Amino acid sequence: MPEPIDPSLQISPQPTLNPSSYTVQLRGVTKIYPKTKFGLVDVNLRLKQGSFLFVTGPSGAGKTTLMKLIYGAERPDHGEVLVAGNSVGVLRGNRLSHLRRQLGVVFQDYKLIPRWTISENIAFVLKSQGVPRDEIERRLRPTLKLVGLQKRAECFPDQLSGGEQQRASIARAIVGSPKLLLADEPTGNLDQENALQVLSILTKLNNLGITVVITTHDMHLIQVAQAPVARIYNGRLHMVNAEQAASERV
Amino acid sequence: MLKIWRTKLGYLGQETWRGLRRGGWMNWAAISTVTVLLFLFGISLQTSWQVSGLLNQLGSQLEVSVYLEPGLSGQVMRPTVLQFPEVASVEVIEKDEAWKSLLQDLGQTDIEGATEGLGQNPLVDELKVNARSAAQVPQLAQKLARVRGVDGVEYLDEALKNLIEINRGFSRLSIVVIGLLTLTAIAVITTTIRLIVISRHQEIEVMQLVGATKMWIYLPFILQGVTFGIIGAAISWGFLSGIRQFIYRLLTDQPNFLKVVSDGLRLSNSQLILLPLILLGFGSLVGLVGSLFAVRRFALR
Repeated sequence: MPEPIDPSLQISPQPTLNPSSYTVQLRGVTKIYPKTKFGLVDVNLRLKQGSFLFVTGPSGAGKTTLMKLIYGAERPDHGEVLVAGNSVGVLRGNRLSHLRRQLGVVFQDYKLIPRWTISENIAFVLKSQGVPRDEIERRLRPTLKLVGLQKRAECFPDQLSGGEQQRASIARAIVGSPKLLLADEPTGNLDQENALQVLSILTKLNNLGITVVITTHDMHLIQVAQAPVARIYNGRLHMVNAEQAASERV
Repeated sequence: MLKIWRTKLGYLGQETWRGLRRGGWMNWAAISTVTVLLFLFGISLQTSWQVSGLLNQLGSQLEVSVYLEPGLSGQVMRPTVLQFPEVASVEVIEKDEAWKSLLQDLGQTDIEGATEGLGQNPLVDELKVNARSAAQVPQLAQKLARVRGVDGVEYLDEALKNLIEINRGFSRLSIVVIGLLTLTAIAVITTTIRLIVISRHQEIEVMQLVGATKMWIYLPFILQGVTFGIIGAAISWGFLSGIRQFIYRLLTDQPNFLKVVSDGLRLSNSQLILLPLILLGFGSLVGLVGSLFAVRRFALR
């Protein structure tokens, strides 16, 4: 049984004194899709603030399900998902919305609105949360700078490369100053150079104290990052090291 | 605080406008249905007010004429008649006065000679009784006919009855048509808003993920529905006002009787203010219900 690599990461069910001291906690979480019979089985995971974790595994293993459980788009059949001390599975309506403001989500297909410019796409997050216009302006510039898109702010998504679009989607995910960033296959559509650029931004964000969880198939990325890796196999989550993950060729 | 509200209202206005632009021609389908509904509703309401006004107008012209038995004094009978709750006023026309007026109308100047020729004044005292409302006239006439000392009662019974019946029938028909049109307008608005919601599903998905509340996401769609109602109300009110002005102008240059009709058709100042307000209220309500139906399924997911 592989050992956890980072002391801030734990995957086995262990007693904890203060649940809110973890950014993310999964306690015995099971989620099976009735049609496919696939999903997650008895998953335990604890991430402290500022952790960085890769989640890998074969297609359909449950990586996206894990992400969805964390941001509340799915509810567990059994067990409990805690984000910043809040049980996500029982949150509804406005309480779930307010929890989601504490996390950012990045998708493989970017999910940018094609009719809007990059700055409109990013500002939209803050507008949706009722943030005043001057505050939006104040936050927009440094966010664009962080992802290197300050000169592309007024471009539309189809005027950008895949890498730039993904950086824009990262900007959108972090403009609300989240504590947790979930990136679901963020480099899936990118070439190696753009993938490394995205990784560099995510690492930078992690250095700023943001907890980052990335699902990926990209073994090169995992090896470059030298960060903890959890692997989902047969619905179960295991901690592995980068070499193990690469050798298993998920 | 003020800044937050300004931001919120600005956002809602912007999003509502964005949704309306996305609706394209579907917006006009919704607005035209609401306009037709409100136009018919407005016509019905206006007509009911106008017929009521006309009835009152005619009612005051066609008061109940009560002829007393020979020898009975109108002044003596007046307090008895005034006791009826339906009676607004009573005017006594004494037989001498009526006789004088009749002979004058006939071109006779020698009143005494004419009276002597007949032996005596052949007329009786008459009471001109005004009812409080036109609808009460037939009932009042029946009551007055039963009073001791009353020889005969006259009023334009059939004309009033017909008008009241026509008004009643029109109201019933209007209720059915308006009911059906209301359902149609709600269905069209529901479909329009639903299509707009579906066309904006990407934005809605992102909004949900970034923590926008359901109210924040769906309120602009509800405001779109209300906007359909408000625009429909404004257009239908414009049509109604135009048609009303046209009819007034036609009747103003007509002979006296039609002038009476024209006065009866005129809306009071309070009705002129109330009509657009009622149209706005009804239009907004239809828009609100239609859009609530449209977003309910999405918002409750």
